[in-house]
Amino acid sequence: MRTALRDNALGLVFGLLFLIVLVAQAFAGHADFNQQQVAAGMEPIGLGRYLTSASFAADVAENWQSEYLQFFLYIFLTVWLVQKGSPESKKPGEQGLESDREQKVGSFATDDSPSWARAGGLRRTLLSNSLGLVMGLLFVASWLTQSIAGVAAYNEEQLRDLQEPVTWARYLTEPDFWNRTLQNWQSELLAVASMVILSIYLRQRGSPESKPVGSPHDATGVEG
Amino acid sequence: MGKPRFVRLAMLLTTVVMLAGCASVGERSSAAEDAARLFLQAVADGDGPAACGALAPETEARIDAPCAESILDEALPAPSATADARVYGQRALVKFDADTVFLAVFPDGWRVVAAGCTPRGERPYDCAVQGG
Repeated sequence: MRTALRDNALGLVFGLLFLIVLVAQAFAGHADFNQQQVAAGMEPIGLGRYLTSASFAADVAENWQSEYLQFFLYIFLTVWLVQKGSPESKKPGEQGLESDREQKVGSFATDDSPSWARAGGLRRTLLSNSLGLVMGLLFVASWLTQSIAGVAAYNEEQLRDLQEPVTWARYLTEPDFWNRTLQNWQSELLAVASMVILSIYLRQRGSPESKPVGSPHDATGVEG
Repeated sequence: MGKPRFVRLAMLLTTVVMLAGCASVGERSSAAEDAARLFLQAVADGDGPAACGALAPETEARIDAPCAESILDEALPAPSATADARVYGQRALVKFDADTVFLAVFPDGWRVVAAGCTPRGERPYDCAVQGG
């Protein structure tokens, strides 16, 4: 049991932190929503009703979509683009899908390789791109959720202001939708660019996200 | 080969939740329309106390006292037989043939926030009766 916990600590801790922060967001969002309700001369709503509201769903989904977009882009772009000196990058000259031998697929699969790595055709293609594809699908699903919950939340505000509600298609052209979307995208792209570039010159001893402390600044694709 | 039991259970639960969601939206729209209709009909019938009882507190507070008399002076048309009701969260909009009514949810149900409203394009509706 203790070994299992230790061996999976990273995933477990992040999963737990996610749940704690999501609950905290729910309480903060509920308080914020009720402040606006009272300011508009209405009654506060219960936590349960808030958790099933479009407002909460839109706030959650708009952040999820940008996170999955970040990983989707990072996974695919690092196949083809390199950053000299970054431990996040492959070495210059290694761009591309690499050989079957390097990727241990087909006849180069080992005994403990996933069975789909040994198989050919669609199964191998799916496994070979599964990480990026799932991130991409989660991005699309989250963005779609943001748009659907977002139009309902937006229309609730429209009615509060005695304005006409809009359709989903019209909402996709509204500044509200793109402001929510782009403010998340820019922060994710900044975070990735910061990681790629700062990790050239800075170190974190013991972290696989960093080069070993003594590695030269121009060492690429070396993880500590 | 039949679907595994958990898949069938998940499909059943999904269907129940979706139907419950549709029923909930339909019921809320219907309730909002009923509240708007009750208000406009009370004004048309000259029943000031009933009309004022259907208003949101802030809207009622904005009407010259006594509300039961002043509300009847507003040029509000009687509700048409059919209406289009749309609900988003705590707010609803009900469009009758000759009037548009805005409502909000309170602990005892839907109440009228604004009535006698005419559209002004991108700008807010211009309403004969409205809250703060």
